[in-house]
Amino acid sequence: MSERPPHTEAEIVELVRSIDVQAPPELHRRIDALIAEHDGRSSARKRPPAPLRWGLAGALALAALAAVLVVSLSGGGSSALTLHSTVALTLRAPTMSAPAQNPHSATELAADVEGVAFPYWEDRFGWRSTGARVDHLDGRAVTTVFYARGRQWLGYAIVAGASAPHVGGGTVTEREGTPYRLQRVDGTSVVTWLRDGHLCVMAGHGVSDATLMALASWHEGEALNA
Amino acid sequence: MRTLDPQSLNKHVDRLFRAAWALCGSREDAEDLVQETFARVLSRPRVLRGDDELYYLMRVLRNTFLTSLRTASRRPVTAAAIEDVVAADPRPTNRPEHAYEVQEIYATIAQLPDNFRLALVAVDVLGLSYKEAAQALQVREATLTTRLFRARKQVSEQLASEPERPQAAEARREDKDASGVMFSEGAP
Repeated sequence: MSERPPHTEAEIVELVRSIDVQAPPELHRRIDALIAEHDGRSSARKRPPAPLRWGLAGALALAALAAVLVVSLSGGGSSALTLHSTVALTLRAPTMSAPAQNPHSATELAADVEGVAFPYWEDRFGWRSTGARVDHLDGRAVTTVFYARGRQWLGYAIVAGASAPHVGGGTVTEREGTPYRLQRVDGTSVVTWLRDGHLCVMAGHGVSDATLMALASWHEGEALNA
Repeated sequence: MRTLDPQSLNKHVDRLFRAAWALCGSREDAEDLVQETFARVLSRPRVLRGDDELYYLMRVLRNTFLTSLRTASRRPVTAAAIEDVVAADPRPTNRPEHAYEVQEIYATIAQLPDNFRLALVAVDVLGLSYKEAAQALQVREATLTTRLFRARKQVSEQLASEPERPQAAEARREDKDASGVMFSEGAP
């Protein structure tokens, strides 16, 4: 920033108005999908859904459906699936309400990706689910559930598709036959591992590496070894 | 009065995105805000009193933004961590004689008090007239003018007071390097 900064009101106005940055193509596709979805509803003369209380499983299913719609409309194009982009999703704000506990399982939330459920930690460890979001990278849906405990929070993402992308680097710790890879991405600690062939990515704020690793590798019936 | 035509909305995405970015100070949050704004607008038929869709969209954007602020205040604090991690996308303005980056300008606007920020975004980013902006923000035109003046003054002072930060520039370069690392297919 070697140029002289703007001083006058007119210069500030000129500077701000000169910005012509475009919205990302991905956002355009999402808006187009919303409009297409709206047109579909209108042409079918369906009543708009009443503002019922959505169960999170339903909301996630709807979001996943929307993601599929976006992908199909855009010919499968989407942001690149990189470790960086996936981790960034786990650190963004939720766009959907928090998933509730699965009424049929004491250790799972009522939210899953192709049968791989997000864990329920609130009663045991005090980590409550606070929200969720669904994005897509390279045509794959990435579902993220956010958890918080006090001022700590973390994002837990599961990438759809059993043919998981490969993640390298970091320190690998094997627990019960599953390798857990801990590494730093842009200054944030991240754990990656596979569950039923699905890539899972977890990153947090104010959470120690040990806690991240313990939560990632936790199984029903265990204490949290953080 | 006329009904809002959903097909005409996508031409406003870029301007809404810029407005949302200036409101949020974050490119990623701006994407969410724009998507939520359009989802709200499309949730039911809308009747416009005037011809200007942009004015109407600004009203919805404002309401959505204020709602998101209230929601965010009930969530754990995340803003600092998000900004630490997400790579900046420093695209220049269309005036190369200014070395400011979009991210820096919008981040400066995003630090303004809500009322000042909304006034500046409505007029200088979205390009609404004073009258339209005042109506969209539900304030008197004189109030809007005062807020706008103060907002511009604060932005000017803020930009003038910020020295070059070589460490930040270096960090951005490192972010861009890291973002280029792709996954490869196959079992780990």
